[in-house]
Order: sequence, then C-alpha cells, then structure tokens
Amino acid sequence: MAVTARSAGRSGTLGEIGLGRVAAYAAMLIIALAVQSTVLAQLTILGVVPNLVLVVIVVLAYLDGERVGVVLGFFGGLLLDLQLEQAIVGVSALLYTLIGYGIGTVRRLSTKESVWTPVLVIAGASAVAEFGYASLSIILGREWVGLQVTAKRAGLVVLYNTLLTPFVFPLVRRVANRFRPERVLRW
Amino acid sequence: MYRQPGRGRVLLLVFVALSIFLITLDFRSGAEGPLARAKEWSIAVVAPVQRGFTTVFRPVGNFFSSLGEIGDLRGQNQELEQDVRRLRSENEGADAILDENKRLTEVLDLKESWQTMDAVAAQVYSNGAGNYNWAVGIDKGREDGIAREMAVISPEGLVGKVVQVTANEAQVLVIVDPTAAAGARIEGPRDTGTVQGQGAGLPLLMLDIGKDADVSVGDEVVTSGRNRSVFPPGIPIGEISRADVEGGSPTMDIDVDPYVEYRKLDYVSVLLESGPAATAQEDR
Repeated sequence: MAVTARSAGRSGTLGEIGLGRVAAYAAMLIIALAVQSTVLAQLTILGVVPNLVLVVIVVLAYLDGERVGVVLGFFGGLLLDLQLEQAIVGVSALLYTLIGYGIGTVRRLSTKESVWTPVLVIAGASAVAEFGYASLSIILGREWVGLQVTAKRAGLVVLYNTLLTPFVFPLVRRVANRFRPERVLRW
Repeated sequence: MYRQPGRGRVLLLVFVALSIFLITLDFRSGAEGPLARAKEWSIAVVAPVQRGFTTVFRPVGNFFSSLGEIGDLRGQNQELEQDVRRLRSENEGADAILDENKRLTEVLDLKESWQTMDAVAAQVYSNGAGNYNWAVGIDKGREDGIAREMAVISPEGLVGKVVQVTANEAQVLVIVDPTAAAGARIEGPRDTGTVQGQGAGLPLLMLDIGKDADVSVGDEVVTSGRNRSVFPPGIPIGEISRADVEGGSPTMDIDVDPYVEYRKLDYVSVLLESGPAATAQEDR
C-alpha cells in the first residue's frame, strides 16, 4: 500500500493527495454544514448557531498544514456562500482561504504540543471569521445591524465554536489520520 | 519536498484571486447566471444529508421539550376537547360565509384572498447555516409547482417568500432577514408602510408611517399587498411592540414583534397563486 502511494505520488498531484482523502474531507465539510443547519440550528446559545464548517476547516489546517488549509478554506467557504441565497458568493471563501493559510503557518511556528493550542486556535480563527465577515459585508454594501449586535453575535460564535472543539477535534483527527497518504510521516 | 513553503504561498494567491473573481462575478451577474446554477447544485447536494439529520433528530428534540410539559397535558386535553366542540359549531356558519365570499369575489372581480388560494404544504428541513442569513429549506420544490417569489405562510402568519427552487427543495427567505421586506398595513388606523427584518431575535422595523398616525402598542400589522408586493393582502405579520416619535423626524419609529418564530418553523404553506402569478394579474 505504501509502495503504491509512493509511485502514484511521483506521477501526479492527485496521486500525491489521494482520492480517498479528497472524498473524506469533502464529506466532512458537507456533514458539518448539514449538522450546523439542522441539529445545531435548534440548539442555539441565545439564538446564535456555531460555525461547524469553520471548526472542521481549522482543525484540518492545523493538522495538515497551510496547503490543505488554503484548499479546504476556499471550498468550505464557497460551500457556505452557495447555500445562502442572500450571501455574496466568494466572501466566506476568501476569508476561510486566508484563515486556512494562517492556521497552517501558525501550526509550523508553535513548537510545544499542548491540549490548549487547538482550542485557542479555534477561538482566534472564529473571531477573525466573524468580524471579517461583518467587515467585508459592510465594505460590499450590505445592510448592517450595528456594532453591538455584531460584537455580541461574534462573541457567542467564538464561545460556541470553542465549546465544540473538544468533541470535533478528536473525531476529525481520526478521519484525517485514516486518509493521510502513508508516505508523509509527520510525527 | 512536501512542505515547501513557496508552494503554499502560490496556492494561497491562486485561491485568493479566485475568491475575488467570484465576488466580482456575483456583483455583475444577477439572479440568473452561472452562480445561480452553482447555488442550485450546492443546495441539491447538501439537502439529502440535511433531510436525513432532520428526520432523525427532530423527534428527539420534540421528545425532550415535551417531557417538561407532561403535567399540563390532562388539563390541556380537556380544554382542547371543549374547543373542538365549539369550533365545530362555528365552522358550519363559517362555511356558508366562505361560499358567499367566493361568489362575491367572482362577481366583483376582486383578487383572490390568501385564505382560499391553492397552497402546497411543506416541512422545514433546515435553517440557514449562519448568523447573517435567515432562510429555511423546505421539502417541496419545482416539481410541486413552487416558483421563486411565492409567498410562504404558517398557521401563525407570514413566513416569507421563496428565493431559490431546486427540483425537490426550495429556500424561503424569512421576513426577519435584513434583506427581506414586505408592504404592510396597521389594522385599526389602516396606515400603510413597509416592514423590514433585522435578524432573528430582533423586532421588525416598520417604515414610512407618518408621526400623526394613530398607532398604539398591540395593534396588528398585516401585509398590504401594495407596491407590487409579492404578498397578497391581509396576511398577519405581527404586533406593534413599540411606537415612538423622535424629535424632528416626519415618520414614527415602530417595532413589530413578528408572529413567525424562525427557529421553531416546522410546517409551512406555499401560496401557489401568489408572487409572479399575482403580479402578472396586476399588470392586466
């Protein structure tokens, strides 16, 4: 199995990434979106739903590095944008692409392994995503409900996303480990 | 070799450029175009997964929320039985009035009332995926006769309008969304204006009501059907929760508490004779 992965890796990009891995990551994004818009939409904290798609993107970027972060960020954000009729297509895609890259880079810089690192990373990324989305929407001329509402909403999303991390992180890591190409030995 | 930093940066630039291209494309192409089709595909791909989760988890949620109510059930049951008896006798009178209404409507060539319009019942299977958009997915679509711009109601009152249709699903923009608005009339003083959403959990704003209007808290607000509105007139929207006159403003500051509860939406009806069909009739 390792041998086939190695030879496929030499021949092309898709072989290097792995078809099963692409399918698994895409499935995780779609399931995250479905859970977020059905089950979690009924379990709000003060009317606010978490952003599970972002949590999955950030966890995978943290585990697999900035290249996976960029690609997943773009397609995950695009998936969100396309679901919402009133959303401007490309806004979440742009933001999550940048976040994916950022998280991947941060991962390389941080040297110490700590249980708290993923939690802090999720909290930071959620804050950037929320305020970034609000700012971009205003710049692009969308109706805005005011700083107080935005800040409260962003704060609750950060809290909710962070609370989900201990459950989502191990689950996503298991799937990621299962599908990571065997020739890449990271730790 | 796998972790060459340079390649990550190139990838970043490519996808950032692609995102910006998409944003531009979104602004340049309107309701139709390549992005509309991409939206339709994306909704159709995720919908079966969402419907699966809803089918499995909604009964669980209902079970837990009804656990706390078991004590009240016996009393409620008795009250409901009384209500049924009373409503049954009232209903017979109402049937006769409805027939008469229908006859008169035809005679006077009036627009059909929303209460008698053909409607499709649908169940909500998803809420919008974020905190910035208030739309719900319903489990009926183009094959059931649903089209864009049709009005959607629930037993409580106005829900919103259809903004996206796929073969077997539709997306409904709920009136609480900041981009949603409806022509509205205050029952009582009969002043007309527009209501606009501000997001779930916040009241609707009612605009364009002059400061001299005789408005009081608790007045009901219904759709007006005016200004080429997609909504037929008379659908209940909500109740006025605040009405203030501010300094030099010529209009009143009015908050409307909507009847529709965004997170609790379950069964809704799509009015098949509203929206594009109704506006075409107006053009006649």
